[in-house]
Amino acid sequence: MRRFAIALLASLAVCGITADLWTRRSYETQFRDFPDARPSAQFPLGTDALGRDRLTRLVYGTRVSLSLAPAAAGFSCVLAALLGGTAGWAGGFAESAIMASADLFLSVPWMFLLLMVRAWLPLNVSPEVSVGITFALLGALGWAAPARVVRAAVKKLRASDFMLLAEAHGATRWRLLRRHLIPNVTPILLAQFWIAVPAFILAETTLGMLGLGISEPLPSWGGLLREIEGGDALSNWWLLAPAVVLAAVTASLQLLRPKKELAS
Amino acid sequence: MRRLLARLARIVGIVFLSGIACAMLARYAPGSMVDERELNPKAGEDSIAALRAEKQISFPAELAHYLRGDLGYSESNHASVGALIRDRAPVTLRELALGLAGGWLAGFVFAIPASRSARASVYDAISAAGSGLLMSLPAALLAYLSVLAGAPSVIVLIAVIAPKIFEFSKNLLRDAYRAAHIDTARARGIGEFRIFLAYALPSVAPQIAGLAAASVSLAIGAAIPIEAICEVPGLGRLAWQAAMARDLPLLVNLTMLVALATTCAAMLTETEKA
Repeated sequence: MRRFAIALLASLAVCGITADLWTRRSYETQFRDFPDARPSAQFPLGTDALGRDRLTRLVYGTRVSLSLAPAAAGFSCVLAALLGGTAGWAGGFAESAIMASADLFLSVPWMFLLLMVRAWLPLNVSPEVSVGITFALLGALGWAAPARVVRAAVKKLRASDFMLLAEAHGATRWRLLRRHLIPNVTPILLAQFWIAVPAFILAETTLGMLGLGISEPLPSWGGLLREIEGGDALSNWWLLAPAVVLAAVTASLQLLRPKKELAS
Repeated sequence: MRRLLARLARIVGIVFLSGIACAMLARYAPGSMVDERELNPKAGEDSIAALRAEKQISFPAELAHYLRGDLGYSESNHASVGALIRDRAPVTLRELALGLAGGWLAGFVFAIPASRSARASVYDAISAAGSGLLMSLPAALLAYLSVLAGAPSVIVLIAVIAPKIFEFSKNLLRDAYRAAHIDTARARGIGEFRIFLAYALPSVAPQIAGLAAASVSLAIGAAIPIEAICEVPGLGRLAWQAAMARDLPLLVNLTMLVALATTCAAMLTETEKA
């Protein structure tokens, strides 16, 4: 199953990245003679109300989500490593201050926080800026939970026998960090990264469906799924194509999570 | 007693800080505190100055209002914030209570048979696929689908909570069933129901209780898109409308209310675990 998940993600990522090479049309090209067209040989998933090819938009939407959600997760993990690592390593006031901030972030459900902060940022911006805002926000607001995990791990490592031994042998702080701490914290951060990627994809989709995500005409899964609201998705099955791709991608990402994390 | 007081002080601090953070965010957000009427070309300088003065926030004055029990006025709803929260809170509380109860019940009930079999079974595969599928779809999409199918919004909340409870409980119970004392109990001929109640469940109860706070937070977060899409007149929909209309007094109060609910749930869980 894990191999199948990797193959699926890799093929979707390649499709998305090379979209410019093999799609015949742009995601914003309007075929005004064919608005709301049903699936056909010309438009395999039909067209939207503005006559734009749904398949092309789905491919470009996949590119946006599959490239930026990992970037946002990476940003979030870097923040978590810096803040959680500092808290666990330095202790004292720095630890109290950082953990109090983390508690503050965690006191409000993530989705509530995300919606609130996104709504306060400008909505009438260019699509590229809206992509930046959405994913930077996901990264910036998602640090608290992984930071707690990192801080606990660093504290545990700091008190471990091998660290004490290295310190007793005169290892400098930099060497302790580079040779002992970072290699042991990296797998934990990687696990947090794999947890964050599907969560961020789902969060971006929710924001998009509520009209707070990426601006038109740039497609995103959330924006594409908003079409369900206006149409009858039960009889027009092709409207659910973005949902199928989304479910396949997030399920595959969940399969790729480290098994130990699933158990905890 | 001292520990309890310290925890209460922590809750008050977090709630207060979340309110301050929300107010600061709203105050300094781009385009904040600008009245549309300022764009009227007929508006004179005096009128614009008056509009700006009307929009100004004095944090000490706001705090004094709070201490007197006045939660402010929502301009987007043309009603006092207190009245709005009083009207909408029962709807959301009912949704959350039913959603949490249903989610926990469904997740736990489905987890028990899946955890008992040591080998992979058809049930195991089907239940894992079902929970995996539900976890792979955002709450907003499930809400759209429930509207299309004419299902109540509580079902969506159950569908969001149950898979997490299922996965977590299944893993914990599976570990518990591997314990040597359960094998001994089985060898002695004790029934499966009794083994579950007397041996498996008590050993996982503290960890399961630890999930309670997380599930409350999850349910509150999911309630916003669900209520917004299913048009449920609750606090989640109110929060979404307040965010879209940039209604500062309403947002600050809702943030503090949500922070209070989440931290109280976390404190109750911590106390129970201790």
